[in-house]
Amino acid sequence: MLDRKAGICAAAALLFGIVTLLARGQDYGRSVARPSAVEYLFPEQVTVPAGKASPVALHFRIAPGLHINSHTPREDFLIPTVLSIPEGGGVRLEQASYPAGTDFVLPVDPKTRLSVYTGEFVIQARIVAAAGDHMVEAKLRFQACDQNACMPPKTITVPIDVIGK
Amino acid sequence: MKRNSLVSIAVLFILAVFAWAGWANFEYRKQAAERLLANLAQGELVVSADDGAAHFLSPLQGKPAPAFTLEDLSGKKVSLASYKGKAVLINFWATWCGPCKLETPWLVDLRNHYAAQGFEVLGISADDLDRDDPAKLGMEKKEISRFVQQMKMPYPVLIDGGSLSKLYGGLDSLPASFFVDRNGNVVAAQLGLTSKDEIEGNIRKALGAGK
Repeated sequence: MLDRKAGICAAAALLFGIVTLLARGQDYGRSVARPSAVEYLFPEQVTVPAGKASPVALHFRIAPGLHINSHTPREDFLIPTVLSIPEGGGVRLEQASYPAGTDFVLPVDPKTRLSVYTGEFVIQARIVAAAGDHMVEAKLRFQACDQNACMPPKTITVPIDVIGK
Repeated sequence: MKRNSLVSIAVLFILAVFAWAGWANFEYRKQAAERLLANLAQGELVVSADDGAAHFLSPLQGKPAPAFTLEDLSGKKVSLASYKGKAVLINFWATWCGPCKLETPWLVDLRNHYAAQGFEVLGISADDLDRDDPAKLGMEKKEISRFVQQMKMPYPVLIDGGSLSKLYGGLDSLPASFFVDRNGNVVAAQLGLTSKDEIEGNIRKALGAGK
């Protein structure tokens, strides 16, 4: 009888310990996450013919109040938005077509027109996938600003499950 | 007997889990404290009683400017301490920063105007430097140098500003300017593009000339 009680107590304590740990882990994960200026929206998964260049439209969203340079900024000092796929993952980026930037003028400098993306934008990628299931971690490099200040250039991961059939 | 052994193992396991939970909790608290410190160092926008406008209030204000020694583009080491006795504007910028490019001509004008009164600007580039790749590092320095020449910056330009990030409140966005008086204390700070008038007012404050 005593052993049974001890067993129940032990199980309860074990459960309590695990729950505490999980709660800590979740809380910590939530508090360190900082929102990115650019968020990848979709697709999460695509199926393409294996070995054949196939179009995939990648959708992104820029945080309100911010803009990022387009793929073709007008000044060569500015950092363009560029999509890439690391080599060796079974999926190759053959080509990426970027949307044209929209004009953006800073209030203090009405003469200078910047070429930027705001809100949502789509990159039309052409990818070639080997046969099989590939968890691709494409990269989007960009540099974001608001009307008065700029953030350092950043590269985010664009996770896509590519199935080559 | 077998049951007793099982209970003992379970108790030991639970103790191990608690020890682990305690360690995780300690790490969590330590990291939370570090995050709090970092946030405190980042400053905030406050509305001035003088003009009703929002100004960036840095926690460095009223305190000695954190000391540093950085290289200029020629590799010469330059330290903030060597400017003691002068009013200094520490301006963090980067080649990719549009607003920095807009304010630089203002800084050049103001530096030339107030230099005779004992004022200097230290332009600190926050462009990333690839120290492990000499070829890339050379190109990055060349790019900074091209910007400096294009903007005709007459004041010392130092590189590797990112290494001062923690000391100067994160530098999460640029431009960021700190105005240091002749005694080495921060008297004002600005985050982002403001106006030439506001910069001049802060330079005069650093010089001890009032607004």
